[in-house]
Amino acid sequence: MKLKKLLVANRGEIAVRVIRACREAGIATVAVFSEADREALHVQMADEAYAIGPAPAIESYLVIDRIVQTARRAGADAVHPGYGFLSENAAFAEACAAAGLTFVGPPAAAMRQMGSKTAARTLARELGVPMVPGTLEVVASDAEAARVAGEIGYPVMLKAAMGGGGKGMRLVRRDADLAEALRAARAEAGAAFGDAAVYLERAIAEPRHVEIQILADTHGHVIHLGERECSIQRRHQKLIEECPSPLLDAVLRARMGDAACRLARAAGYVNAGTVEFLVDSERNFYFLEMNARLQVEHPVTEMVTGVDLVREQLRIAAGETLTLTQADVTWRGWAIECRVNAEDPFAGWLPSPGTITGLRAPSGPWVRDDSGAYEGYTIPRFYDTLLSKLIVWGADRAAACDRMARALAEYRVVGVRTTIPALTRIVAHPDFRAARLSTAFLERVLPDLRANDGRFASVAVIAAVLAEYERARQAAAAPPPADTTPSAWRAAGTRGWIRP
Amino acid sequence: MKYVATVADESRLVTVTGADGRYRVALGDEVWEVDARLTAQGIYSLLIDGVSYVADVLDRDGACVVEVGGEWYEIGVEEQTRHIIRTRGGAAGGPGSRTLTAPLPGKISRVAVRPGEAVQAGDTLLVIEAMKMENEFKAAGAGTVAEVRVEAGQTVNAGDVLIVMT
Repeated sequence: MKLKKLLVANRGEIAVRVIRACREAGIATVAVFSEADREALHVQMADEAYAIGPAPAIESYLVIDRIVQTARRAGADAVHPGYGFLSENAAFAEACAAAGLTFVGPPAAAMRQMGSKTAARTLARELGVPMVPGTLEVVASDAEAARVAGEIGYPVMLKAAMGGGGKGMRLVRRDADLAEALRAARAEAGAAFGDAAVYLERAIAEPRHVEIQILADTHGHVIHLGERECSIQRRHQKLIEECPSPLLDAVLRARMGDAACRLARAAGYVNAGTVEFLVDSERNFYFLEMNARLQVEHPVTEMVTGVDLVREQLRIAAGETLTLTQADVTWRGWAIECRVNAEDPFAGWLPSPGTITGLRAPSGPWVRDDSGAYEGYTIPRFYDTLLSKLIVWGADRAAACDRMARALAEYRVVGVRTTIPALTRIVAHPDFRAARLSTAFLERVLPDLRANDGRFASVAVIAAVLAEYERARQAAAAPPPADTTPSAWRAAGTRGWIRP
Repeated sequence: MKYVATVADESRLVTVTGADGRYRVALGDEVWEVDARLTAQGIYSLLIDGVSYVADVLDRDGACVVEVGGEWYEIGVEEQTRHIIRTRGGAAGGPGSRTLTAPLPGKISRVAVRPGEAVQAGDTLLVIEAMKMENEFKAAGAGTVAEVRVEAGQTVNAGDVLIVMT
């Protein structure tokens, strides 16, 4: 079965990523967009694009019926869900199947099994995969949560049963904070996943987040593509990821890879998936959860293994056999990914929506920018803040760090604030360079995260004053009619655009 | 043109001359020859003594956010006259002072008080037109106007005594 036309049920950089893979594979693409995304890059890049509703995702990107209908009407034969939105929604996978559409992802049953964190933990226990002590079931009441927390000992971590992306997670250090944390975690989980159920487990101090990429085809082959380390996080949101992990050696990689493959096999898993582990300071690993979808950070694995994961997803969905055996998988060099988010790291990481008036993305050897933005693009306030993923490859970790520093310095985004200056500082930090990573890294270095050290104060003043000087000179030379003409500076965002 | 640039609560006087990409910038007692080009919206290429910088300049409600060399600066840039008016002129010399002097050269466009008149803090005393702007001067504290030494239409120099209060 060959896929001919695929609908991408997503937006932003991941929709662009999937469209690129499809184009290379000769598969026509259909984009969907909300009212806020008419000018988004994925709409421009797809062969066809259809509106699916108002800006809030709950009225557009999360409306299963409308997306399935759009796919049918456009004559698509497949749907790729990307990550987030409906990607781990079993009802969506079933609706696609019922409509005769190939869902590029795991079967609904496997998704249910792994998508429920508690069911996944039960399976892991049966298979003897190590886990952090905690509940296997959703905590039914505050009293039960308090009892379990007392048994396993504080600090404990609350997690959304249907969660992902850090939503619905709360670290609780003492009994007194438990009730409020439960309330907040449930509210967040309910809003994000439509299911407020949470479970709890013991929190590991300064753990490292290491995840295994797996691929499984419909013919019973399951392989792993090694690990990614995602320890640089802020409030459980990953910020920097790398492959391989500085912590792992071939033996530990093989053990964790084997555990991941056994889990996938037992769950009847098909397509690309990720098994997340925590690794403590003694290099013990604990199963966390399985993500039944493509991960945001998949490119670092691609760069080191040379495997196009989205292309593999498409092949698997078309019923083909994996192109690789486990023995074919090799890891070469080092890859790092930085997430460029429209957030202000020096003002509490607040979202910074707005128009990108100036944009210059880095390039050069072994630099990849997976972006959903362009110059003139207005970032809507309705969705996540991820603008782009900057990925570099180097022969070893030091080379990759040097290259990332170089690429971040080339990256210019004007008009909105981004995480780039924070990423620059993290990558330059001695602890990062020495691979002293942990999920607490960012909290630890945050007090040092200053907007500047005053090294370029004079240059900055000169630039600011000259900008003002030229603005005044131009205003004096050609006084614009006071009413309509925007200044040249303000016109940037709308230049070349005709708005109704 | 003279500007006052404020970075992290520290104000520096900056003098700029030149045009069309070539400028002379005096910053304190240092003078820089700067070749500056706007290469894309908000993205400047600066050559300062042969050293190449790329600076992103974002104008945000009067304050500039400049990113250069991976560092971020928030910089307030004000034309010097404006700065003087805002920081000195507007408060008629401060609560202790009984004399309003002209903080800048200009033309008196309006005198709002007469000798013998009682004023409250914030009452407009007079308006000076300078730099094509009408700059209002208000009383810093309550008092009585003893003398008005200027009249509308008159040109004044910086430092001229305009109004004396008791």
